Amino acid sequence: MELSDAALVDIVLRGESEAYARLVARYRDRYARFALHMLGNREDAEEALQDAFVRAYRSLHRCGDPARFGSWLLAILANRCRTAGGKRSRHERRFVSAEDRHYAIALDHPANASEWREEIARALARLDVDQREAFLLKHVEEMEYEQMSMVTGAGVSALKMRVKRACERMRRMLTEGEDAPTR
Amino acid sequence: MRQHDDLDSMEQDDGVIERVAEELRRPLRVNAALFDARVMDEVLRTPSGLRARIASLVQPRTFRVSPLVALAAGLLFAVSVAGSLLYVLPASPRAVAHTPARTAPGSPIVQFGFVAPHASSVALVGDFNDWDPKATPLRAASTGGVWSVEVPIQPGRHLYAFVVDGTVWRPDPAAPKATGEDFGEPNSALTVADPGAR
Amino acid sequence: MTNRLLALLACALLCAPAALRAQDPRLDARLDARTRDAVVGLIDSVRAEGIPSEPLVQKALEGASKHADGARILAAVHKLAGELGDARAALGASSTDAEIIAGASALHAGIPPAALARMRASRAHGSLTVALAVLSDLVARGVPGDTATTVISALANAGAPDAELLQFQQGVERDIAKGATPAAALGVRAQSAFPRAVAPRTP
Repeated sequence: MELSDAALVDIVLRGESEAYARLVARYRDRYARFALHMLGNREDAEEALQDAFVRAYRSLHRCGDPARFGSWLLAILANRCRTAGGKRSRHERRFVSAEDRHYAIALDHPANASEWREEIARALARLDVDQREAFLLKHVEEMEYEQMSMVTGAGVSALKMRVKRACERMRRMLTEGEDAPTR
Repeated sequence: MRQHDDLDSMEQDDGVIERVAEELRRPLRVNAALFDARVMDEVLRTPSGLRARIASLVQPRTFRVSPLVALAAGLLFAVSVAGSLLYVLPASPRAVAHTPARTAPGSPIVQFGFVAPHASSVALVGDFNDWDPKATPLRAASTGGVWSVEVPIQPGRHLYAFVVDGTVWRPDPAAPKATGEDFGEPNSALTVADPGAR
Repeated sequence: MTNRLLALLACALLCAPAALRAQDPRLDARLDARTRDAVVGLIDSVRAEGIPSEPLVQKALEGASKHADGARILAAVHKLAGELGDARAALGASSTDAEIIAGASALHAGIPPAALARMRASRAHGSLTVALAVLSDLVARGVPGDTATTVISALANAGAPDAELLQFQQGVERDIAKGATPAAALGVRAQSAFPRAVAPRTP
C-alpha cells in the first residue's frame, strides 16, 4: 500500500525513523535531477541531496504541512544548492568564492553525452543562480508560480521575470552561440 | 505539454526552450542502494529525542538494522579513507581492540583509520588509553596500506595520535590539530558527541 | 615560574601526608619518583577545587610516553590545571568534567572566559561540551575567535544538536583544505547553516 507523504511524516515523527527511507526513495531521483542541473556535476548533486534529506529529517518537526513534504524538502535542497560548497569535480579542487562560481561543465548523464546536451549544460551554467533555479523549477519540475514562490521564498512577479530572462538567454546562447558572461 | 501563462507572448520561439526542457527532464537514476544507505545511516545516527540510536558495546541493539545500513557502514569506510577518518558508527559486530576498561558502558564506538603502506605496526595512543603504544594496535587491511581500529570512547574532547613502527609519532592528517603542550610531538583532537544528549 | 614550581614540589613532598595522596599505579609505573611525587602533589592540591584529575594524569602519562623530562611534564600538568580551573570558574561549579575539559581547550585557544560564561548563560539546558570543542578546533585552525564564538553560540542557542555542530566544523575544515581562508570558510558555512526564511531575498 502506498502511504501518502503526510502519513509517512507522521509515522517518522512518532518514532519509526526507518520509515523515512520511503520518503527518500520517493524523491531521490527527481530531486537528484534538479540538484545535478543546478550544480553541474554528479558528486556535488548527490552530496547536496544527501545533505538536504538529512536536514529535512532533523527538522521534520518543523515541517509546517506534512502533506507538502515534497515542496518543503525541495526548498531545503534549493537553498543548499545555492550555498553549496561542494566537492567540485575530481579534477578541480579549488575553493571558489560565492561571487564568481564556476560550475564544472562535465555532465554525467545515464546515456552517452551528446553535443546538444553539453551545449545545454554549458548554457545553464552561464545563467546566474536565481535564473537557473527559476528556469528549472518552471520548465523541468513544471511547477506553478505559487508553488515556486513557496519553495524559493521569492515573489511570483520576480520569479516570472527570472524565468523570462533565463529563457531569453538560453535561447540566445543555443541559437546564436552567444558567449557573453552572466549579467 | 506546456503550461500557458501571461508571459507566453514573451517566449515566442518556444521550440528551443521546449527542446531544452525535454532534454533536462530526462530522468536521472541515482545508485539507490548506496545513496539511501548513506542517508539512512546519518538519519539513524542522529541523537534525538525520538530514540537514541547509538547502541553500546555491551547492550544488544534494540532496533532492526537494515542490511543497507550495514552495507553503508562498510562502503563509507572504504570510500572515505584517504589519510584517515573518524566516524561514530553504530556498534556492529566487529573485532574491538582491548583497551583499559575505563569507558562506561554505552560509550560510542569511534573508528580510527591511518594509511601507512610500508609500516609494520601502527598503534593508537591518546588520553583514553594512557598514551600507551601497546594498548591499541591497529589492524592492517589486506590491501592498500590501510590500518584501522574501533574503540569505545567516552563523550567529550580527547587528544590522540598514532605511533608507527613503535617509535614514530604522527598526528591524524585529517583531524583538527590540538594546540597546547604536546611535548614536541603534535596531537590531534577528537570530539565525541554524547548519544544520549539532545 | 620556576620558583612557583619549586614551591609546589616542596609542598608536595613535605606537606601532604602520604595517606591523602592520589595513589595511581599508572603514575608510579611510568614516572620517576621525584616527578611522580610532584605531579601527585599538584593533583591533590587542585582536586579540592573540583577540578577533574584524570586529564592531569593523562597529561603526565603523555609526557612520559613521549620521553619528556620531569620538569617539562610538571610544567604541562600545572598549566593544564590552571586552564581547567579557569574553565570551571567561567562555566560554573555544576559543569560536567567533559564541559570543563572542553572549556579548558577553548581558553587555551584564546577564547576569553567571558565568552564561556555567556555561552553558559544562553544555553541553560544541554551540554556545552561539543560547542566548546568545536569552537576550540575552529580557532586553532585560524578562524578569528570572536567570529567563531558568535557563530557557534548562535548555532547552540538555536538548538543545533551536537551532530550538527560537528558537521558544521567538518564543513569548515573541508573548505579550508580546499584553499579558502578560515574566515571565508566560516562565513559561507554560517550562511548555509541558517534557514533561508531568516534571510530576506532580493530578486
